[in-house]
Amino acid sequence: MNWHAVLTAMLPEHVLLAGIVLLLGMEIASIRPRGPAVLPLAVLTAAVAAAAWLHASGYVAAPFAGQYSADPASSLAKAIVLAFAVPVVLLAREEFERSRFYLLLLASLYGACVILSADSFLTLFLGLELMSLPVYVLVLLAYRRPESAEAALKYLVLSGAATATFLMGASLLYGATGLLALPVFAAALGSGDPLTQAAVVLVIVAFFLKAAVVPFHAWAPDAYEAASVPVTAYMATIIKAAVLLALVRLFGTAPLSLPIVGLIAILPLASIVWGNLAAMRQSSFRRMIAYSSIAHAGYLFYAFLGDGPGRYEAVVFYVLAYGLMNLLAFASLPPSADDAVRDRLDHLRGLFHRAPYAAIMIGIAMLSLAGIPPLPGFIAKFLIFKNVMAAGYTLYAVLGLVASYLGIYFYLRVIQCLFMSPDAQAADRSPSRGAALGASLICLIPAILLAVLPGWVIGRL
Amino acid sequence: MSDAGLLNVVLYLPVLGIVLVALLRREGPVRGLSLAVMVVQFLLAALLYARFDATAEGLQFETRLPWIADWGVYYQIGLDGYNVLLVLMTAFLGPLVVAGAFTAIRKDVKLFYAMVFLIQFAMLGTFVAQDLFLFYLFWEAMLIPMFLLIGIWGGERRIYATFKFVLYTAFGSILMLAAVIYLVYSLNESTGITSFAFADLYRSRLPLPVQTVLLVAFGLSFAIKVPMVPLHTWLPDAHVEAPTAGSVILAGVLLKMGTYGFMKLGFPLFPDATRLFAAQIMTLAVIGILYGACLALVQTDIKKIIAYSSISHLGYVMLGLISVDLLGIQGAMIQMVSHGLTAGGLFLMVGMIYERCHTRDLAAYGGLARLLPLYSVFFMILTLASVGFPATSGFTGEFLVLLGAFNSSWHQYQQGATYPLALSVSAVAGVVLGALYMLWFAQRFLFGAVKAPHRPFADLNLREAAILGAIAAAVFGLGLFPDGPLQKTELAAKQYQALVRAERVPGTPPRQAVATEGRTETAP
Repeated sequence: MNWHAVLTAMLPEHVLLAGIVLLLGMEIASIRPRGPAVLPLAVLTAAVAAAAWLHASGYVAAPFAGQYSADPASSLAKAIVLAFAVPVVLLAREEFERSRFYLLLLASLYGACVILSADSFLTLFLGLELMSLPVYVLVLLAYRRPESAEAALKYLVLSGAATATFLMGASLLYGATGLLALPVFAAALGSGDPLTQAAVVLVIVAFFLKAAVVPFHAWAPDAYEAASVPVTAYMATIIKAAVLLALVRLFGTAPLSLPIVGLIAILPLASIVWGNLAAMRQSSFRRMIAYSSIAHAGYLFYAFLGDGPGRYEAVVFYVLAYGLMNLLAFASLPPSADDAVRDRLDHLRGLFHRAPYAAIMIGIAMLSLAGIPPLPGFIAKFLIFKNVMAAGYTLYAVLGLVASYLGIYFYLRVIQCLFMSPDAQAADRSPSRGAALGASLICLIPAILLAVLPGWVIGRL
Repeated sequence: MSDAGLLNVVLYLPVLGIVLVALLRREGPVRGLSLAVMVVQFLLAALLYARFDATAEGLQFETRLPWIADWGVYYQIGLDGYNVLLVLMTAFLGPLVVAGAFTAIRKDVKLFYAMVFLIQFAMLGTFVAQDLFLFYLFWEAMLIPMFLLIGIWGGERRIYATFKFVLYTAFGSILMLAAVIYLVYSLNESTGITSFAFADLYRSRLPLPVQTVLLVAFGLSFAIKVPMVPLHTWLPDAHVEAPTAGSVILAGVLLKMGTYGFMKLGFPLFPDATRLFAAQIMTLAVIGILYGACLALVQTDIKKIIAYSSISHLGYVMLGLISVDLLGIQGAMIQMVSHGLTAGGLFLMVGMIYERCHTRDLAAYGGLARLLPLYSVFFMILTLASVGFPATSGFTGEFLVLLGAFNSSWHQYQQGATYPLALSVSAVAGVVLGALYMLWFAQRFLFGAVKAPHRPFADLNLREAAILGAIAAAVFGLGLFPDGPLQKTELAAKQYQALVRAERVPGTPPRQAVATEGRTETAP
């Protein structure tokens, strides 16, 4: 074993591990630092810097050959996922006094990093479980109402089903080829052999479950609504980003066989339609975002229809635009003592008169998620549909675009609440919060870069 | 300053305006500052217009920078005969919109002027963009400021109206987006170049069925904006509920986006399909002229009369464009500007009377000529311009369009097609109907027994008189001296004609609906 490669290639993971151990030690020793978020923030920043450095230097190594490897693409994916966690921690600062939250968060991020570097189904499984298990606890951590327990259990059970499906697929693949290495999956994507096709379908379905694609989406609205704002933000952005980026690694540039094309065109299309339709009827902001994220999972899976090299580019750009904008919206939500009140869409009524900056930020986030130009969400969507059309699936592209039209209404309804409604009666007039402001700026500035210089960004992926 | 820099300055001045408005702490100086920025923009746009060389082919004041290099997207803007008049008109209406809202807008003043600047930026960008991707960005960017303008400062049913407007327009845009991607992709397949530049897209050779589908997708989006019957139902609601500034922007500039889109993209990109369906498009244009006029005739809400008259007037523009006759095309270009001035002016005047009396019910008014003499003079000028009275801009536009349509359909008649001729003749009835509803409106509004919701109220103040004076001057200027604008647009009209007549796919479409080739035509 090459110790130098182990140390360098896993540097982001090592930083996270050091943070976890430190936090754990402090918790055991009952040391309560004044600012519980400072240490996790420092750890995260260091981990982002490490991943960004590995990406920039083009570092390629396989410290555990056949199980785990680092390359510029995986380092970039880690950097994105870890960077998304920075605003989440800033948001959590006032919600969670104890360091348990940060401990679980870092553990889950460790899992996310592992799946982004996994080379075999074994490592992938390990990472997926490590990423998901802390999240069940995180959903429960802000236990404020009985529904939280129900939602966490629902999430746990459905995730268990996803795991089972995943393992079934992996074992079928092992049965067919005798290998657990990931490239086997990419090769199986184009094959016509029924056994390997069944394996591929099972693995993809497991990812559908994790990413909340119709009809495997039912856990998402409940879990999102029951969790607290930072945890919802974590699930909506980081988990989804990690799952999709891992899938890009899994798919590679392999061509798809026709049944697989049907699978990853029709279910995501249904996801876009249903997510957008169901979001129209929600009165809870987080539930609405859940349905919106179900629709966005549909767009993201559409990216896999495109030709090989375009997939990576499209998914990374979309994940960036989608994640930043969701985080921006969560960071700008007005505070309230009562979590249930804070979650109501009505709470946003007339926000422009109370907090113009926050209202404009939520507005920008909603419009970008709706795909209105010139915001980054549009360019991301354009990239995906351009690739789908270039791959020859004109009909799927047109249907996807028309389905995305359905989404415009409910995003605009939020704008209506923000700008066109009189002030909510029981509005808390809390002073603006520095951490939330910082979190929104962390999201806004890269988003502006995505909108103004998309060519520059794409050239650097 | 370099030539290209000047156009960029004109384009980005509204962005500077947004920044300045956002930085102001108090609401007091917002109005004056916004007006100043808009006036500077108009003066610079006038300079652009003056320096625009009518004899030069191709783009002027051009900027072309790689933007998304991998996709072949360029930041390419420039002036040509297609957009030079529209840019000038947009910049001209800007300060009038701002000044017209001085007293009417009292709520969220900073946001209001920021939104006016934002839509001004998007509209100018749509006109000057020479790259399809850029065009689409600006085209869609108009949606949100208009959504807010109607939704925040509008009338009672503003939420309904603004959602209707956005959902209508966005549906067209989505189809256009699909068509844009497909067009660029198939250009890449057939020629090997990946480009969004209009100049490259004009060279695409698509089979006729594909052209037809894409024309429908682009055309639906443009037809909603124009609006062409039967896609017009959002317009009366949006106009009635919008604040005055919103109506002026909507009628003055936004509707021209549709006709400009047909002129710059829809017809020239898919010429074979356009010729194939010329008769149908012409039918829709004439239906728009007549149906809009008939609806305007029976309205009792003064804003609705002008809203429906817009449908009728934009029908002329479509008629001129589809005639593919040089006179008709140039008439359409003049008619776009003329309608921007007259409809914009009339909406401003409705806003002024609404601020005084708080009702738009025509039955509540009568004999205003005695109460408000100055107001009535301006109102008559704009009414006459609207019905196409000689010496006003409306005459130049409508006359040339009808001449062009008749020219083209007469030649088709000689080849045995009577339908276009019948349509052209019935379009003339639109002029009569137009005179009927506008003059009847003016008669009930300005003359007869004096009646008003409450009086006495003051005649126009200096600010209002200055706004209307500027519009009246422009209306007469375009009516009496159309030479300059016609010269500056002539090359573009010829280019449009050549593009739409070109057979992209050899030997496919029947040519019955198109004027004969080889005729000598001269611009007036």
